[in-house]
Amino acid sequence: MMAQPSIHATTAATSGGTVPPLVVEHMAKSYDHHGRIVPVIADLSLTLREGEIVSIVGPSGCGKTTLLNTLCGLLVPDTGNIRWHGREVTGQPQNVGYMLQKDLLLPWRTALGNTMLGLEIRGLAAAEAEDRSRALLDQLGLHGFADHYPSTLSGGMRQRVALARTLVNEPDVLLLDEPFAALDFQSKLLLENDMLALVRKGRRSLLLITHDIEEAVSLADRVIVLSKRPTQVKAAYEIELGSDRTDVIALRERPDFSHHVRRIWADLDVVLQ
Amino acid sequence: MTADVDTAMAHAAPPLAPGAPSSTRRRWSRLRAAIAVLVTQLAILIVFLAFWEHATPKNSAAAFMFGSPSAIAGFLGQMVRDGSLWRDTSITGMETLLGFFVGNLVGTLIGLSLWYSRFVSRVVEPFVIALGSIPIIALAPIVIIWFGTGLISKVAMSTLSVVIVALVTSYKGAVGVDPDQINLMKTLGASKFQIFRKLVVPASLTDIFAGLKLTVGFALIGAIVGEFMSSSDGLGHAIFKAGSLYVIPKVFAALVVTIALALVLTFLVGKIERLLMPWRHHV
Repeated sequence: MMAQPSIHATTAATSGGTVPPLVVEHMAKSYDHHGRIVPVIADLSLTLREGEIVSIVGPSGCGKTTLLNTLCGLLVPDTGNIRWHGREVTGQPQNVGYMLQKDLLLPWRTALGNTMLGLEIRGLAAAEAEDRSRALLDQLGLHGFADHYPSTLSGGMRQRVALARTLVNEPDVLLLDEPFAALDFQSKLLLENDMLALVRKGRRSLLLITHDIEEAVSLADRVIVLSKRPTQVKAAYEIELGSDRTDVIALRERPDFSHHVRRIWADLDVVLQ
Repeated sequence: MTADVDTAMAHAAPPLAPGAPSSTRRRWSRLRAAIAVLVTQLAILIVFLAFWEHATPKNSAAAFMFGSPSAIAGFLGQMVRDGSLWRDTSITGMETLLGFFVGNLVGTLIGLSLWYSRFVSRVVEPFVIALGSIPIIALAPIVIIWFGTGLISKVAMSTLSVVIVALVTSYKGAVGVDPDQINLMKTLGASKFQIFRKLVVPASLTDIFAGLKLTVGFALIGAIVGEFMSSSDGLGHAIFKAGSLYVIPKVFAALVVTIALALVLTFLVGKIERLLMPWRHHV
């Protein structure tokens, strides 16, 4: 509560006075491992502004996934607080989309059926859910594959369906945990591009957890670097790569792109083990 | 760079060419492999039957002890003519199907619903293991005292042979669901019942069907053991009667029919599985 005025001050300065969709303040989380307390996240604060894309990078095992699961309400933080649109939420936050490296598609549902899952759970009329899902699958280049089972789709296409399943619920905030890590380079670039276009167009906020620094820099407005465990924020960088940020392939050619990548790489505590 | 991207797009499209020559050739070679397997199986069967027939000449001691394929065929013909084949098969088939159905229904319902409560499942676990370790045949005398010598006691035997297996396999399927998938359902706002209905039940189908295939045989064993104990018809009764009269070829004849019944029932379960789980056969 003490920190509230200062948070409001920073947001007022940066995004025109609206309440940011996600504010994390001094969050800590530890695990009980056979009776021994293992601190995973020591002290973490971050703000995700409306329409902003923030990447989080950190050395492996730094608790990125713990952070994401805590944000989703699947874990409860030990201390600190998480505010969605200015309010603390118990359980699952509303209007938050969640996507992992594993596509987690249900094998007994077609691409369309998987996309409709969230709308179905919320009790939307089947016809409307189907129309919206089909339209989104088309936008993601899956026209003609709506009635295919996941087992007949390639890895890139499956992850596109997973993205459609996340976006069709029109979440304000997207939480993505290494969503493209399992894809080959080309599928990854294509999917990053399509995702970026949809997220920017919908003015959605995106928190992207990744270990791929180039991905972090090419997609995000801001990159937050986490320290080793117990985790805290080590550095944050504003990524300024011109106004047109929709073509990740062209972005990677810019000289300042590699400059950003090198700076962040130097910040990561990467040691050979 | 753009060229790479284009080829990646082209690769993303699956090679759909049902009429292409390569696909027909592939189908043809698959068919030939299947035929080769079938021919080899038939050859083994024929050699086995020929040896059996040759080793058991008519009216020899060997023919009395081991029967012979021709004598077995003779009894099969007789059983068809006097109508006992159809009567015994339909009675045993009915007992088996009823036991299979009731046992799997009850077992699967309990097994799946145990997913709901970790507490309840931990409480019942040792009881389930204890019940599962009872040899069903040891229950036969009690079952006959409780349910009489008619259809019900055989169905009860058959049900008892099935129910614990069905319970354990379906429970295993339900608790084996990927926790990440459950988390995903939670983040989509699913209630516990929605998670159960939309995720746990369909995800358990693979295990449930593995249980169904296993329990076809168990249901048949239960029915036949029930008939052994006390009955006036059914394949178990035919086997038991022919055995006590030392008519070995007739025992084999009834056994052949029993095997055929088991094969037909297993085949039907496989068909239903394919109907209910089409996604597994779309690869």
